[in-house]
Amino acid sequence: MSSKSEAKVSGAQRFTPHLPNDPNDEPLRELFSHHIHSFDHFVEYGLEKALMSIKPKPELYPPQKERISKQVREALYPFECRQAKISYTGKFLVDVCFKYGDSPAGAVIREKFSFGQLPIMLKSKLCHLRNADRHKLVSCKEEANEMGGYFVLNGLERVVRLLIVPKRNYPTSMSRSAFRNRREGFTDKAVVIRCVREDQSAVTLNLYYLSNGSARVGFRIRGRENLLPIGLVLKALIDTTDHEIFMSLTSVYNEKHEKTKGSVGTQILNERALIILNEVKDLSLFTRIQCLEYIGEYFKPFMEGMQDDSHAAVADAVLRDYVLVHLENNHDKFNLLIFMAQKLFSYIDQTSVPDNPDALQTQEVLLPGHLITIYIKERLQDWLVKAKRLLQDEVNNTKKNFDFGSLTDVKKALDKNPAKQVGLAIENMLKTGRLVSQLTLDLKEKAGMTVQAERLNFLRFLSHFRAVHRGSSLAGLRTTSVRKLLPESWGFVCPVHTPDGSPCGLLNHLTASCRITSFYDSHGKIRDFSKIQKSILSVLVAAGMTPSLPKLVKAGPPEVLHVLLDGRVVGAMPSDRVEKVVSHLRRLKLSATSVIPEDLEVGYVPISMGGAFPGLFLFTNPSRFVRPVIQKFPPPEETNNIELIGPFEQVYMEIECPDGGNGGRLPEFPATHEEIHPTGILSVVGNLTPWSDHNQSPRNMYQCQMAKQTMGFSSQGINCRADQKLYHLQTPQTPIVRTATYEKFRIDDSPLGTNAIVAVLAYSGYDMEDAMVLNKSSVDRGFAHGHIYQTETIDLADDKFKSDASSRMFKRENTDKKSHSFIDADGLPYVGQRIKPGEPYYTTYNKVRGNSFSQKLKGSEAVTVDYVAVDVKNKKQLQKANIRLRRSRNPVIGDKFSSRHGQKGVCSQLWPDVNMPFSGATGMRPDLIINPHAFPSRMTIAMLLESIAAKGGALQGKFVDATPFSSSLTKRDGEEGDSLVDDIGSMLLARGFNYDGREVLYSGFYGTELVCEIFIGPVYYQRLRHMVSDKFQVRSTGTVDPVTHQPIKGRKKGGGIRFGEMERDSLLAHGAAYLLHDRLHTSSDHHIADVCSLCGSILTTTLIQNQKKAMREIAGLPPGRVPKKVKCVSCQTSKGMETVPMPYVFRYLAAELAAMNIRVKLQLSNGAAA
Amino acid sequence: MEGASYQRFPKVKIRELKDDYAKFELRETDASMANALRRVMIAEVPTIAIDLVEIEVNSSVLNDEFIAHRLGLIPLTSERAMSMRFSRDCDACDGDGQCEFCSVEFHLRAKCIGDQTLDVTSKDLYSSDHTVVPVDFSDSGAGYENPEDQRGITIVKLRKGQELRLRAIARKGIGKDHAKWSPAATVTFMYEPEIHINEEMMETLSLEEKTSVVESSPTKVFALNPQTHQVEVVDPEAYTYDDEVLKKVEAMGKPGLIEVYAKEDSFIFTVESTGAVKASQLVINAIEVLKQKLDAVRLLEDTVEADDQFGELGAHMRGG
Repeated sequence: MSSKSEAKVSGAQRFTPHLPNDPNDEPLRELFSHHIHSFDHFVEYGLEKALMSIKPKPELYPPQKERISKQVREALYPFECRQAKISYTGKFLVDVCFKYGDSPAGAVIREKFSFGQLPIMLKSKLCHLRNADRHKLVSCKEEANEMGGYFVLNGLERVVRLLIVPKRNYPTSMSRSAFRNRREGFTDKAVVIRCVREDQSAVTLNLYYLSNGSARVGFRIRGRENLLPIGLVLKALIDTTDHEIFMSLTSVYNEKHEKTKGSVGTQILNERALIILNEVKDLSLFTRIQCLEYIGEYFKPFMEGMQDDSHAAVADAVLRDYVLVHLENNHDKFNLLIFMAQKLFSYIDQTSVPDNPDALQTQEVLLPGHLITIYIKERLQDWLVKAKRLLQDEVNNTKKNFDFGSLTDVKKALDKNPAKQVGLAIENMLKTGRLVSQLTLDLKEKAGMTVQAERLNFLRFLSHFRAVHRGSSLAGLRTTSVRKLLPESWGFVCPVHTPDGSPCGLLNHLTASCRITSFYDSHGKIRDFSKIQKSILSVLVAAGMTPSLPKLVKAGPPEVLHVLLDGRVVGAMPSDRVEKVVSHLRRLKLSATSVIPEDLEVGYVPISMGGAFPGLFLFTNPSRFVRPVIQKFPPPEETNNIELIGPFEQVYMEIECPDGGNGGRLPEFPATHEEIHPTGILSVVGNLTPWSDHNQSPRNMYQCQMAKQTMGFSSQGINCRADQKLYHLQTPQTPIVRTATYEKFRIDDSPLGTNAIVAVLAYSGYDMEDAMVLNKSSVDRGFAHGHIYQTETIDLADDKFKSDASSRMFKRENTDKKSHSFIDADGLPYVGQRIKPGEPYYTTYNKVRGNSFSQKLKGSEAVTVDYVAVDVKNKKQLQKANIRLRRSRNPVIGDKFSSRHGQKGVCSQLWPDVNMPFSGATGMRPDLIINPHAFPSRMTIAMLLESIAAKGGALQGKFVDATPFSSSLTKRDGEEGDSLVDDIGSMLLARGFNYDGREVLYSGFYGTELVCEIFIGPVYYQRLRHMVSDKFQVRSTGTVDPVTHQPIKGRKKGGGIRFGEMERDSLLAHGAAYLLHDRLHTSSDHHIADVCSLCGSILTTTLIQNQKKAMREIAGLPPGRVPKKVKCVSCQTSKGMETVPMPYVFRYLAAELAAMNIRVKLQLSNGAAA
Repeated sequence: MEGASYQRFPKVKIRELKDDYAKFELRETDASMANALRRVMIAEVPTIAIDLVEIEVNSSVLNDEFIAHRLGLIPLTSERAMSMRFSRDCDACDGDGQCEFCSVEFHLRAKCIGDQTLDVTSKDLYSSDHTVVPVDFSDSGAGYENPEDQRGITIVKLRKGQELRLRAIARKGIGKDHAKWSPAATVTFMYEPEIHINEEMMETLSLEEKTSVVESSPTKVFALNPQTHQVEVVDPEAYTYDDEVLKKVEAMGKPGLIEVYAKEDSFIFTVESTGAVKASQLVINAIEVLKQKLDAVRLLEDTVEADDQFGELGAHMRGG
C-alpha cells in the first residue's frame, strides 16, 4: 500500500522540503541596487560633473576639486544615528577659487570651503557598511540582510521616491490642449524632447506646430518660456543656406513613395519649408551672424552674468545651455531639430501617430542620486551667484578698504551667504521631500520627493524601494487616462500591486525582475558612455549605415531609416538592412566580451502605414527600465541567452509567453524572444500570493495592500531599534504553501503570519459579514500574539525648553520615596518594569529652579519598559534618552486578520476549544472559523486551493510550491500532468482524507454530527496592524469644552464621537424623541439656568452668597441642602426667579449676542399653560 | 410524564490504554452524555500549570511576557490537582497563591557561560514539590532513541553572557480559564458505525468494480478477500462518515449495495493526554467533575437560595 500511495502522489515536484540554508542575499540586494548605484554615481562622478558646468564663469572659477570625507575623528554608524535621532551625514568640502580681474596676474584666492554636511546613503560607497558581510552588519547592530538605499535623517529612515519622467533624449510627438494657449496661432500639437546633460540636469525643448504651417522652438529659462521660430534656430546653429534647410526638411518626401507603406512625408512639406524660411527672411535675417545677433539681443536680459558680453556670445550661450543640451555639437543639434520637425509634420499630416506620453514606452525614472546631483548643482549655482554679488558689492564699495587678496576679507564678505546652506538645503530636501526652488530643475514636482521607509514589516519596507510614482501633480487630475494600465507596462510595472483609491495607477511598483540601468555595469565598473557610443557607431557603420556627419543624409523613410543614438542623429540606414542590424546588435548585447552594453536599448520602430514615426532609436543612458527575457536563438558560441530589454523596444519585439500557446502571433512574425517565467509581470509582493492566477484579480490587489499592513517580524535586530512604533508578531511561521519568490527573496527572514486551521462553515451567527470566530484556546497557546514597541526620545536640550535647556537633566529626587519603585536613581525607569497609566516613568530635575518633574504615563493601558538608552555625549549631565515601551497586543474581539487572498475579517468571538466543531476522526478543532459566504462573490479559489494543499503539505511534512502560472509552463513542456486539484486530492486520499479537503465535523456544543461535510485545512493568516486597542473610543462623562460645556472630541483626550446632523435626522425619522433628548441635551451640555421672569434675562442673575448660618445638624442625617438664593442684578430682586433647563450653549449665545448689544429675552410660561 | 425515569446505565469498555492515550467504548447513552464527557475532559478537569512568574534577571532575547507564556504552557504532572484547592478559594492563604495547599513554587536559574548556545528547558525548572514536576516525555517513546537527547521542552536559548533567573508559581486551574490548564491534547468520539453489505447485490459486481468500491473509501474500511474475492468490512471504525462509499455505489447505479448506520447510543472515544494526568485518570477525573457539577445543580435546585440568587430565573430554571 505504501508504494502505491507514493505512486499516487504524481505531483511530487509540487512538494519540496525546506529551502536550502545558504544566505544568498544577491536577489534581494538587486531589488535595492538602483538607489545605491545612483547615489554612488553622484558621489564619485555626478557631483564633479555638476560643479564643472556651473554658470557664472570668468570672475569666479568653478570649484576644481571637491571631496567628501567622513568624520575623521571617529566613524559614525547608522545605528547610532537612529538611536540618537541625528542624521547620517558626511562633511562636504569644496575648493573654491576666486579670481578678480582678467589678467593672469589678478588676485587669486583658493580656499577649501565647507559646504556643510551632506546626507550619505546607507551602503553607498561612502557608507561604513558598504562592504560589510552579514556578521559585520550584525555587529554594527543592523539587519543581517541590510540592503541600504535610504538615508538616516534625524533618526528617521527616508527613501527618495522614484519618479516617472519623460524619456530622455527622445523626441515625443503629442497633443496637449495647453499648447494651444501658448500664443495666438498655436495648435495643440508638438514634438517634445527632454534633453539631459551628462550631469543629469535636464532642459525640455518643445517644437510647437503653428496653424500657419510653421513651427516654434520653445524652452524655459528660469521658468519663463521663450519661443523662437524654428528657421531662426536652424540658421543660428550652423552656417547653412536656405536651400540646405529646405532640402533637409523636405528630404523625407519623395514623390516615388507617396502613399506607400512607411512614407512619412507629404507634398505640403515643401510649402511648410518655404513658410519657415520666409519667416526668417521677414525678420531680414540672412546670415548666421545676423541670427545670432538677433537671438543675443533678445536674450541678454535673461542671461545672468552675461550683461557685458557680445550679442553673439549670448546667443551661443543660449544655444549651448537651452537648446538640445544633450548634444554638444551644433551640427548634431541642427540634424536633430530637422528630425524633430519632420516628425512633427508627419504627425500633423497623419502619416504617423503621436506617442503616448503616459505610456512607459516614453518614460524613464528619476533616480535618487540624480535628483541630488541636479539639486545640489542648483543650490551651488545659487550660492555662487550670491557670493559673486556680495564680493562685487564689497569691491565697488570704495569706502571700505576691501582687499581681494586677503582671505579673511573675502571670508568676511561671504559670511552673509554661508556656504553651509548648501549641505543644509540637501538635508532639508531629503527630510521634507520638498524642492525649495525648482526653476532650473525641469521637474513638475515640488513636494513628496522623499518618504519615510516604514518598517512595519519587510514587505512594506521593500515596497518603498520598488515603488515608482507618476507625481502628485497628476493626483488631482480629473481624467483617468494617466492611471490606466497600458500594455507598454507589461513586465516592467506590476498590474496587481497598486493601491486602490486616490493613488491608484499613479503609484506603481516595479516587477520583481525589473531593473533600472545605471552608470555602473554588472561588475560594478563605471561605464564610459563615449566609448560605448563610439563602438556602437562603428558596428552601425560596418553594417551599412551612412553617417550623418559631415552631411545629413537627404532621404527618409521608407528608403532609409534615421538612426538616433542617445538622441543624436548618427546616420541613416537602408530600411531593408535595419532588421539584420537589430538582430546583430541583440546578439552583441549577449556577449560579455563586446563593448556593447548588455542593457543597450535597440528601439527599432519599423515602417508602417500611419504607425509610429519610424526610425532606429538606440539608448545607452542610465535610469531606463530594463528586464530580462530569453533570446530564443542566441549565437551558438554564446552561453548567455538572457537579454535585457527596455519598454521602448519591447513594443516592437516578438516575445513569446511560455504557456504553450503562441499568443495570436502570425506565422510571418515568429517569436524571437521568450519570457523567462510568466510571474515576471508581478512585483515582489504580488508574487507572494499563492496561486494568484486562480483568484479574481482585485483580490490580489487587496492582498498586496494588506501584506503591507501585516504585523510580522519587522526587524531581526529589534533590540537595537529606536523606531517610534514597531509592530512585532511573537510567534510567526513560514507558510506551508508558498511561491518560488518566497524562497528567492528569503522572506523567511521576516515572516508575517501563522498557519491557522481554518474551517469554512456558518456556525452560529458570529461569522456573518466577514467576521470570524477565533479559537480562544489557540489564542491562549500563543496564536497571533504580538507586541507594539514604542520608543520615546526625550531630549531635554530640545528647543521646546529653550529657556532653561542647559539646566535640565534626568535625575530622581531622593526625597520622593514614592517614585522609587518606578524610577531608578538616574531618573529613568527600570528595564522590565511594568507601568500603569498615571504612574511616573521618568523624572527630570531643573538645576536652576531646583524643582523636579515626573512624566506620568498617559493612556489607559499598562506598558512594560523594554529598553532604555542614554546619550552620553554631554558628559556632565544626562539630557537625552530613549525609552522603549512594550505593549502586548494579543488577539481580542475587534482585531483584524486576513488570509493571503484579500479575505480580511474581524474577530467577533473568542470561543473556547470545546465549543468549536471537532473532527470525529482526528479530534482536530479549527483555529478559526470563517463564513462560506466569503467565497461565491469574491471567487478566491486560490484560498481553497491553499487550504487543501497545505493540508497535504502538512501531512507530508513538506512545503507546497504555489507559484502562479506554473501549470501553463508544464503544459508547454508537454507533460500532461494532473491538474492541481488532482495532485493534491489524490495525495489527501492516500492519507485517508477526503479528496476535496472536506471532513465530517461534530458540533462542539451538542456532540452531534454536522449536516454537511466541512471544508477545513490550514491557511496562512496574517494579523493586520489595525487593532481595537488602538482605536476604540468610549466615554460616559468626561472633559467638556470650557466655552460650550459640550463634550470635546478626540480619542486621545478621552472625548466623544460627534452625534451629528445626519444622526439626528435618523432619530427624528424614528420618532425616538427621548433618545434624541438624551443624546443632544442630557448627555451633552445640559444646564439648569436661573432666569428672571421679570426681565426675561438669563445673564443678569447672580448667586447670593449664603450667610453662614449655623445649621442645626440632625444627628445621623446628612445636612439638608440649603436652597439656592439667586437674584436678578438688573431687577434688584429675588422675586420671579425661575429655573429653566436648557443647553449651555444657549447661555453662551445669549452672552455673545449681548456683546453685540442684542438682548435675549425669555418669556417664561408654565409648561401646562403654554 | 411525572415519575418516568430515563435513567440509563452507560457502559464503558476499554479498548486500549497507554499513559497518554486511551481508547474506549461508551455504550447505552446518548450524544449529550458523550459530549458532556468530552467537554469536561478538555475544559474542566483541573491540572496544575505555572500561573505567576516573577522574573529576576532576563537578558535573553525573548521578553518577559513571552517567557512567562512559554512557562505557563509546560505541562506539569498534576495527579495532585484534584485534591488541591483553587487559589481563589484557599483559606490558608489570602489567595496570593503562596501556600502549599493551592500552589507549587518553581525556580529557574540558567546562565550561559560557554560559547555553545545553552538550551534552557523544562528540566531546568526546580519544583518545591516533587509530585508536581514538568512532564517527562523520555519514556513515552516519542521517537527519541537516546533518552539523553531528550532535554525536555525548550523554554529559551541563551548565548554567552545571557542569563535567566526567575521564580514561578504554579496553581490549579481548568482549561476553561486558560488552555494551559487543559489536560487533554485531543478528545474525540464518533458514533459507532454499522456497515451492511448487500451480499447478493455484491455478487453481481465484477472484480474490478469490487476493487473500485473498496478503494473509494479514503480510509481502509473495506478489503477484498484475496481468496474468496468478497468485499469484507475489515475496520468499520475507520469509517469517517464521509459517505464516499455510498456516493460510489450510487454512481455505480447500485444504491443499497452498502449501507451505513450510525448507532445512536454507542460511541468510540479517543483520548490523548498532554501528560499532566494519565489518560485513564483523565477519564475518571472527568466523570468525577461531571458528578460534582450535577451535584451542584441538584443542590441548587433544592435550596431556597437559588431563588435569592436567580430570582425569577431560579424559579424558571426549576420549571416554574
